[in-house]
Amino acid sequence: MLPDWVEPVARYVVEVGLRNTLKLSAIALAGSALIGITLGTLLTIRFLPTRALIRLYIEIWRGLPILVTIFIVFFALPAVSSALRFDPITAGAIALILWGSAQVAETTRGAVQSIPREQHEAASALGFGWVGRHVFVIMPQALRRLLPPLVGLLVNIIQNTTIVQVIGAPEILETAERQVERLTFEGQEHAVEIYGAVMVTFFLISFPLTRLAAYLEKRLA
Amino acid sequence: MTELLAALGPGFLEDLGSFVADNAGELAAGVRRTLTVSAIAIAGASIIGLTLGAARAYRIPVVSQLAAAYVEVIRNTPILVQIFMLYYALPQVGIRLEAFTVAWLAVTIWGGAFNTENFRAGFEAVPARYREASAALGFRGFATFANVTLPIGGRIALPSSINTYISVVKNTSLMYVISYPEITTTVFQIQALTLETVEAFTVLALTYLIIVWSLSALIRLLESHLALPEDR
Repeated sequence: MLPDWVEPVARYVVEVGLRNTLKLSAIALAGSALIGITLGTLLTIRFLPTRALIRLYIEIWRGLPILVTIFIVFFALPAVSSALRFDPITAGAIALILWGSAQVAETTRGAVQSIPREQHEAASALGFGWVGRHVFVIMPQALRRLLPPLVGLLVNIIQNTTIVQVIGAPEILETAERQVERLTFEGQEHAVEIYGAVMVTFFLISFPLTRLAAYLEKRLA
Repeated sequence: MTELLAALGPGFLEDLGSFVADNAGELAAGVRRTLTVSAIAIAGASIIGLTLGAARAYRIPVVSQLAAAYVEVIRNTPILVQIFMLYYALPQVGIRLEAFTVAWLAVTIWGGAFNTENFRAGFEAVPARYREASAALGFRGFATFANVTLPIGGRIALPSSINTYISVVKNTSLMYVISYPEITTTVFQIQALTLETVEAFTVLALTYLIIVWSLSALIRLLESHLALPEDR
């Protein structure tokens, strides 16, 4: 049987922490994919100002550590304007989306450019405009190539949600830390078991996904 | 919006300048610690990646399986949790590490795992005909590795390993959670005292961008310099 301290810890970390981690991951993935795919496709247009702007966006958010982006969104933005004050989970989601969308944009550019010219020409000949051509002809093909890196991104997003712990958002690591501290306060030390369990949880979520990404890469290559 | 413009107006550059001037000593010490930890970790991750990557590529029994387990555990768990494990959990079993030790150790272990994969893929990408040619020239096992597989596979692994090194530099920012005073912790502490939040985090962001962007520029130089003759 499990010792008495386990049950309340596990319940809090799973019900509050795991739920917020999954919620945050889902929002970050959806936002990153949506913005990243749009920016990546726009990056293939030969118009210097948009390309320069999108390039800058990509290089900034890919270049910064996510922790620094989280600090900027959570601490610096509210100092600029009180309208830009976010709760920890929202601030974390925004930071993860800035970083994730930069990753996706770069991959999307490559995937869109890998679709042969003839596909563009054939679509134009059928009367599609730029938007229709990309939405109905190019994207469905590019998405096949995007799928493996998107699964890889999901793994990175899930792991990087832990960084939101620094601003106190109650995801898995934060809830685990609160429980470790509560138990320490009560005179019990269980950091190894609790953080160990957190590692196992992440491994159980990530490992199948990294396998899936590798499998998709082989299948769709 | 007017507040935003006011904050980022012409006076802002001056504010940044005086923020740097007022805190120059601490900022320099922070950057130095970030670079020191990164340098140790890059060196360590290179050694780990080369040896374990070779062990994986050559399928050396036991070592190869242990290396694979190490790689999977590190790659599939968040580095922040690994840092918590090293700094906040190990003391429970009597292992007390200093913040500096955890700082370089955590990123070395992390970078080493990713580098093992980079080098394994690089070594495995060396065409068999090169090794056959080497054997035909009379090179034995290790001589073939040192003279053929390593220089060619190492170059194939170079772009991905340098991306790992860039991530290592960025990940040193996570040492904020153990209060190791590298640049992120340093800037955070300064702004907590001076309340110059916008200036502080702008300077912090620019510092990382300068480091990361110069590192990527260096890579492109190195890559064209080390490119195999057939790719030039």
